[in-house]
Formats: sequence, structure tokens, C-alpha cells
Amino acid sequence: MKEMNILYISVFLPLIVGFLMLFLPNKIKSVSRALTFIISVVTFVLGIKIFTGGESDYILPILQLGESLGGLELELMLTVKPLGAFILMFAMGFGLLITLYSLKSVGANTKRINEYYGAILLTIGGTAGILLSDHLLFLLVFWEIVTVSLYILITTGGNKSNFAATKSFAMIGASDAAFMLGVFMIWKLSGTFVISNIDLATNSTLSIIAFLLLMTAAITKAGALPLHTWVPTSGEYAPVSAMALLPAAIDKLLGIYLLVIVVREIFDIQPGALTVVLSIIGSATIVIAVMVAMVQHNLKKLLSYHAISQVGYMILGIATCTPVGIAGGIFHMLNNAIYKCCLFLCGGAVEQASGTAELDKLGGLGNKMSITFTTCLIAALSISGIPPLNGFVSKWMIYQGVIKMGTQQTGGTAGFWPIWLTCAMFGSALTLASFVKLIHSIFLSRLPDKLKDVKEVSPFMTVPMVVLASLCVFFGVFYHVPLKLFIYPALGIEPGSAIFGTWMSGLSTILLIIGIGLGLLIWLFAKLSKNVRIVPTWTCGEVQSNESMRIPGTHFYKTVSRMSGLKQLYSGQEKGYFDPYDQGGKAGLGLTAFLKWLHSGVLPVYLTWVVLGLLIIIFVICKVQ
Amino acid sequence: MSIPLPLFIAVPLIIAFVLPMFGRKGKAVATALANMVTISLLVFAVASIGKTEVYEIGKWSIPLGINLVLDGLSSLLLLAINVVAAAAMLFSIKYMEQYTAKTKYLSLFLLMVAGMNGVVLSGDIFNLFVFLEIASLASYALVGFGCDHEELEASFKYMVLGSIASVFILFAIALIYGNTGTLNMAYISKAIQNSGLNAGLTFALAMFMAGFGLKAALVPFHAWLPDAHPSAPAPISAMLSGVLIKALGVYSLARIIFNVFGVSVAVGWVLITLGVLSMVVGVFLAVGQWDFKRLLAYHSISQMGYVILGLGIGALILANNGKVEWAAMAILGGMFHLVNHAVFKSLLFLTSGSVEMSTGTRQLKELGGLAEKLPFTRATCTVASASIAGIPPFNGFWSKMILVIASVQAGFLWLAAVTVIVSLVTLISFLKIQRYVFLGELPENLRQTKENKGFMLIAMVFLACLCLLMGSLVLVPGLKESILEPAVKVLTDGLNYSANIIPKL
Repeated sequence: MKEMNILYISVFLPLIVGFLMLFLPNKIKSVSRALTFIISVVTFVLGIKIFTGGESDYILPILQLGESLGGLELELMLTVKPLGAFILMFAMGFGLLITLYSLKSVGANTKRINEYYGAILLTIGGTAGILLSDHLLFLLVFWEIVTVSLYILITTGGNKSNFAATKSFAMIGASDAAFMLGVFMIWKLSGTFVISNIDLATNSTLSIIAFLLLMTAAITKAGALPLHTWVPTSGEYAPVSAMALLPAAIDKLLGIYLLVIVVREIFDIQPGALTVVLSIIGSATIVIAVMVAMVQHNLKKLLSYHAISQVGYMILGIATCTPVGIAGGIFHMLNNAIYKCCLFLCGGAVEQASGTAELDKLGGLGNKMSITFTTCLIAALSISGIPPLNGFVSKWMIYQGVIKMGTQQTGGTAGFWPIWLTCAMFGSALTLASFVKLIHSIFLSRLPDKLKDVKEVSPFMTVPMVVLASLCVFFGVFYHVPLKLFIYPALGIEPGSAIFGTWMSGLSTILLIIGIGLGLLIWLFAKLSKNVRIVPTWTCGEVQSNESMRIPGTHFYKTVSRMSGLKQLYSGQEKGYFDPYDQGGKAGLGLTAFLKWLHSGVLPVYLTWVVLGLLIIIFVICKVQ
Repeated sequence: MSIPLPLFIAVPLIIAFVLPMFGRKGKAVATALANMVTISLLVFAVASIGKTEVYEIGKWSIPLGINLVLDGLSSLLLLAINVVAAAAMLFSIKYMEQYTAKTKYLSLFLLMVAGMNGVVLSGDIFNLFVFLEIASLASYALVGFGCDHEELEASFKYMVLGSIASVFILFAIALIYGNTGTLNMAYISKAIQNSGLNAGLTFALAMFMAGFGLKAALVPFHAWLPDAHPSAPAPISAMLSGVLIKALGVYSLARIIFNVFGVSVAVGWVLITLGVLSMVVGVFLAVGQWDFKRLLAYHSISQMGYVILGLGIGALILANNGKVEWAAMAILGGMFHLVNHAVFKSLLFLTSGSVEMSTGTRQLKELGGLAEKLPFTRATCTVASASIAGIPPFNGFWSKMILVIASVQAGFLWLAAVTVIVSLVTLISFLKIQRYVFLGELPENLRQTKENKGFMLIAMVFLACLCLLMGSLVLVPGLKESILEPAVKVLTDGLNYSANIIPKL
């Protein structure tokens, strides 16, 4: 009985309170803050309890149409499963950290603060619902709740956010529609909505379409190509904490969770045409998104494109269909959520402290904001896959998965494994390149005059960043711990069967530390020997302003975007030629324009329609009867 | 306690003729009286839930006399009509102060209500036509109530097309009378069962479908609606879109097809085609509109498509002798969507009225950033938008879901796909409303905008709460059996209608 209550509370307490909070008048601000904080702590504790408590379930009948009305019965089934439970625990953790961060970061500029906190709670509750639900239809309901809360969160980002919010909701809403259709197709095929009871083979047209529809929903939420365009648009205008919570962390967890469920539980995907599709999406996402990220000038937009690029690794890992690849994909999902969330929070701290997110207006903040700098550096190294941090471990596992697929499997996607591997490694290198630009532009180059008075942000904001950065280090050095505790049990993999290579993180960490220590010694030695004279640069007596001596990092990779061939692609991308939202919108407006043209407003035309309609009805009815 | 059925018609009809006598000075009294009428009608409607009754006017026994019939379907419609009428009347108290001749407005309003109540209660087809004309004529006048150029044009178009529909219907009634010798629907149904359909009756059925289809604004008979509904004052738009097209169009269509003529495969397919056409054409026209109320009006066409689609799938299954439960589920989806649409669409029109009253415009491009200026209007509008777009847990989600499940169950995956896609476009067009009306930059000239308080607010909040709670009509066991299930049963029973109404036949 007690177990049941935990599941129920962790879903419905945040949902109900969050929903009511949306309608609170704006004057009562402190209540919603305190309440959100308390509930996020409660759900985090419950998340840990659910994870440690083992399997349990809770069934609540929702809709029962009697026999006379088709006998449809829908039950809300909350079930604890290893995969969902561990993701749930981390998702609740992110919820708590973001709430903590928001206490200071959201305030002065946000006018509809109750809506913000209400949406945070809706996100938490909806996420819990998705991860616990064993009923596809209710999973869809919770899925939509998370979509709606993303929309609300983006709209709180100021006057210009309305376009971004609309675009995000429209695109994710479209994928939700695909999800819904897919769910009903599965229901038609298997006769049940209960995930545990479904096991379909992809051998008929209908089941392949159903798989593709569900896959569309998963990759749109996670933000993979070609349905990723809502992420950068919202990244530019949404409050940065909202970006850190949803597109950076929870949307990734949910999208990849759904993909794993679809690939492993609902369908039984074997290597073949469908895994080729997944691999192509994965590799293309890695490379293309990172290429776009490199040339961005806006901090938040740059991070958004990286959030897209990293999804490619997870999808590629899952597409390998090897234990190590899938485990790597899931581990990368977790790692990515950690460092990407941290990066967004750092970006938010920088933006709040300096008042801008444009890279060429920033610089030299390393000394002023040392905590932000350190955490951001760790996260940036981690996302670039530098050992011994966590991003390296999971990428390493994914590479291994790809190689293993190439050597062990035949047919399908396996034959192309060098291509996938090249894309993945190349993407990783480009990621490092673009973070070099980011770190340089924000923290290292010369401090602009305007930012002389910048101070480190409040502990409410630094604590979440520090926690996340420490997790990056911990999961990298002691990678066995999360793998054994979370990943292997979640996937039902024997620890022995997915073990990889001869990577000894402990030894290499020690070596790395020794190396850095030696470097420090040399530096100290040079500094103490006092044979070096430090004088200002000689400028022939001419006084140079500080601004003219700054070298912002925004032009680091300008040559790439000017390369012929790439140049056209970049400009097309800027204009939205590859954006399904823009193109879909144009097609829809074309249809609307045609229909409007038909509705001329002339009465005789309308009369003609009526008469024609009558004639057709008469013809059909009289002819058939 | 049993409510005498004629009260539903007599009370508004009599008060409608009394009201103009109050003149300009007695405006407040007239308003209060009109509100009392609509609220007591709502109470009557709630009290009549779950009853089946036949009332013979003047104790003249049928077929000589006229009868009023209350069954599950009628009481569902009565409830919808009177809920919306009560809310719209409450909203009118302050809103209609902008217009002159308020007492005439009130009188026309009550006439329209009397007509609609008459349509859904009437047991014989000629009286149905009479009440339909009362409601229609009142609505022609109300559409042109503002007396501006555009409003009069819209009213004229509406009147021409509406009269043509009336001619179709009257002609069909004449054909029926000629072929069966009776006007009572139960007797007609019996006669058709005994002797089968002949060419004249089939022709009459087609005329009915076109005529009621026009009243229900189904594509291609919809052209009057996008002009007429936005031109009317907001509470009247709410009445027209919320209930008039349903009572006059969908209800009559369903009654005639299911209970009088009986379903056939051809009719089922015609309904499905009309439904799909309306859904698709309506929604794509809606998404391109820049006039707040016009956008909403096009959505009425699209949403009526859902209702007709549900009825069509049900009719097709019944005609093919398929599983009655599956047909029942499709019809349930349609009927549930009908009442849901009545609530959220009338709420949307009321909120558009509130925005128009506060800002003086309803052009989306001239609005913006009103979320903080009009918090209540925004909240209620958002609730209604979420309902119409089918976002859980609001009412529209449940009805659309039942409709989609029913069409998948019946094997029409493509219909399910159309439903879902139309729903997506609906969502996008309401995101557009949010984006241009309530979010974004507040224009300079709207800085002084004030929220509408008082009765307007009460009416909107009342309907918004209904949007949230109406999911319980299918979710809560007791409510489902007493409100929706009887209505569905009336339709799935089909031709047993005559035996249910007049057992001795």
C-alpha cells in the first residue's frame, strides 16, 4: 500500500499543484517559489525511494465505457521498471537543481513568475508520469503535459519569446500527433496499450509505419535532425533555466527513453533497414549540428546546437543493437544531461552577470567568475570527450559498440560501420574546437570595459553548477559505479558481457594529475627564478583603447563558413530552407491561400456550391438506394 | 418533480413578446427578467435529465394533435442550449450596453432560445420546421444587430442561404406528407418501415441532408457561417456557433437519419465525406485568418466535421450490421464532442468579445501582450483553446480520443489520421491566437486596457470550469449513464424510436 502511494504522489502532487499555480494571481510570488522548492525536494526524495524500492505497480481505472459503448477500458498503470526508475531519479534531481537555480535567476525580468514555477512542477510531474507509465495512452498524455509545460516555460522568457514558443509547441505538437497515430496503430496490431504486453515484429507495412511514427516523436523531443529546429530557436529567447531543464536535460532523457522503449520493448528491432535509418539520423545529427554550432555567435544558440549534436551519439549507440552500444547510448544520455545542463546553467550565470549572451561582447570573465569558469571548463571538456571525464567514457563505449557491430553483425547497418565511426569521432573533434572558441570568448580573452564590475553569481546558482560538474568528474573517473548501479540493471545486461577495452580510468587520472602537477612546477620555477621582465606591449607611444586590443573568439572558424559549398549550405540554413517548420508552414499557407481564393464572398458562387452539393447528395443516395 | 415540456418553449416565447414593452427606461428590469428566464430554463434542463416523456399538447392524441418528445438526445441538447444561453445572457448584461435597443436584443435572444428548445423537443416534423424558422429568423436579425455595412451584408447572405435551406426542408416535408400521409416523426418512421423507401422519400432524405447540412454549416454548405458568426455581437456569436448550428443542423440531421429514415451505407458515406471535408477545409481556412472571431468561426465548421464524422462512422457500422457497440462508441465520440464544442466555442467567442470590448479591435495584428492586462480573459481563453486543441485533461481531449479510438476500432485508420492532423492544425491556429493576442509586445495604444469584471467574468469563468470538469461526463460512472449514454442509445436504437415513443403502434 505504501509503495503505491509513492508512485501516485510523485506523479500527481506536482501535476495538481503546478496546474493550480498557473492560475495564481501575480502578486503572490513567494508562495509559489517556496511551494515549488518543497515539492521538488519531495519528488527527488520519492524518486530515490522509488529507485531503491524495487519493482512495484499501481493501477487506477480512469475511463470505463460499458459493454454497450464499445467496452473501452483505460487504466492508468504506474509501474516501476529499472530503466524508468533510474532515469526518474536523475530527472527529479535535475528538477530540484533547476528549481534551486531559478530561485535567484528568475525574478526581475519574468513577469509571469507563477506560470514559470507552475510549469516547472508540471514538467516534474509529467516526467514522472512518462517514466512510470506502463500504458501507452497515458504515457502520451503525460508526454503532452511536458510539451505544454515547455511551451509555458518558453513564453515566460520575455516579449520576443512568443515566436519561439509557438514554433516549439507546433513542432513537438506535430510529433505528438505522430506519436498518437503510432500508438493507435500499435493498438490495432496488438490489441493492447500495455507496454509490457506488446512485442511486435517489424514485418508488415503498418508496423513499420508505426515504428517510424514513434521514432519521429522520440527524436523530435530529443531534438535530432531533421526535426531539431525548435531547440536553437527557443534557446535564443527562453529563460536559460528552462533550457537547462527541458531541452538540455529532461527532453533528452525522455526522448531517448522512448526510443529505447520503442526499439527494445514495443518492437523487437533487429539490425536491418530500420537501424540504417537510425544510424543515418544519428551520424548526420552529430556532424551537421556541430558544424552549425561552430559558427554561432550567441552563447545560448551555440549551446543549443550542441544539445542537438550530442543526441546523435545516443541514437547511434542505440542503432548499433549491441549491448555495449546501447549501454553507451543510455550512459551518454545521462552524461549529456549532466554536462549540458551544467553548461546552460553556466551560460545563464554569465548572461545574468554580464547582461549579454553575445560572444563578441564577452571576454576575460575567468578571474571575475572563477566558479562559473571552472565548472564550465569541466563541462566543456566533458562534452568534448576529454578523458577522464564522463563524456569520454560514454563516447568510448559508443565507438566500441560501432566497431563491435561492424565486426560481429552482417547486413543492415553493420557494413557501413567505418562511416558511422568517422562521423562520431569527427563530431567529437569539432565539439572540442567549438568549445575552445566558447571558453576563449567568455573567460579568457581581454575583459571589455563594460564588464569591469561583473561579480560571481549567488550561491543558489553556483551550487547546482558545482554539483553537476562534480558529477561529470565522478562519473568519468569512477565510471564503473554508475554503470553497475544504473545502466546495466536497467538494460538487463550482464556486467561481463559489455565490458570494454583496456581503459583504466584510475591510472590515467593519476597520470593526468601528475602531468598537470609537473606543468605547475615548471611554471612556478620560471616564476620564482625572476629572470623574466614583464613590461607592457610597446605600441610606438600610441595609446590603444582596450576594445581595439580585444580578440573575441567569434571569428575562429569563419574560414569554415566561407568555404565554397559549405557557404551556400550555411546561408540556406540561416534562411530556414532546411527547417521543417518553415517549409511546412509555407505549404499549409499555400493551401489556405487557395481555399481563401475559393471563398470570394460572392453570394451566387456560394449558391452554386449549395446546389452542386445537393445534386451530389441526391445522386449518391438515390443511386445507391 | 416533472417539468411540463411546453414550459421550455412557452416561457421564453411569452417573455420575448413582453420585453419590448419595457422600452429604454425599463432596460434594467428587462435584463434581469431575461436572465431569470435563461437561468430557470437551465434549471429545467438539469431537472429533465434522464427522463423520457411524451407530452400531447391540449390532450389531443397523436397523430391528430401535436406532441413534444423528451428523450436522451433531446435532453442532452436541451442541456447544451440552456447552459450556453444562460452564460451568453449573463455576458450580455454588460456587453450589450454598447448597443442601442437592448430590450429588442433580449427579446430576439429569447425568441432564438424558444426556437431551439422547440426544435429539439418537437415530435412532429412540421413543428420542427416552424421552430427552426423562429430560431433562424431571430438569428438573421441578431447577426445584423450592429447595423453596420458589413453586418448587414453578412445578415443578408445568411438570410438568403438560410432561406434556401428552409425551402429544401419544407419541400422535403411536403414530399414526406405526400408519401406517408402523416407529419408525426414516429408515424413517418413506422410508415417507412412498413412500406420501405420509394423514390420520393429518398429524394426527401437528400433534401433534408442538404437543408440541415446548411444549417449545420457543413462544407460545401458552409459559406454563410464565416460572415455571419463574426458579425453578430459576441454573446450571439457564442449562441450561434455554440448551439444554433447544432440544434438546427446536427440534431435535426441525426434525428431524421437515425430515427426516421434509418441508416444506410450511402448515407453513412455521405456523412463521413461531409465530416472530413468540413474538418479539413474549415481548419485550413481558420489557420490563415487574422480576424479573431472569423478564425473562431471557421473552427466551428471544422469542429462540426468531427461531430458529423462520429455520426457517419456510427451510421456506416449500423448500416453494415457491424457491432452495435462500436457504432455506439463512434456516436458517443461525436455527441460528446458536440456538447464539448458548445461549451468551449461559446467561451472562446465570449473571450473574443471581452478582448474586443477592452481594446476596440479584433484584428490579431493590432493586438498583443495582453496577458498581463487581461489576466482572466487570458486564462479562460487559454483553457478553451486547450480544450478545442485537445490537450489533456480538458474536455476536448476526451471526446477526440474516443472518436479516434472508435475510428481505429472500426478499421478507418485514415480517418483517425485525418482527425489527428486536423487537431494539430487546430492547435497551431490557437497558438497563433495566444501569440498575437496575449503574448508578445503590447502596442502603445493598448497601454490603458482594463479587464472586464462582473457578470462578463462570471460567465467566462463558469464556462471555463465546465471545460475542465466536463471530462467527468465520460469518466465518472454515474454521470455517463445519465447524460451521454441515453443520447447515444436513442441514435443506436434507430428505428425503434417510433416504438419507444408510441408503444401502441
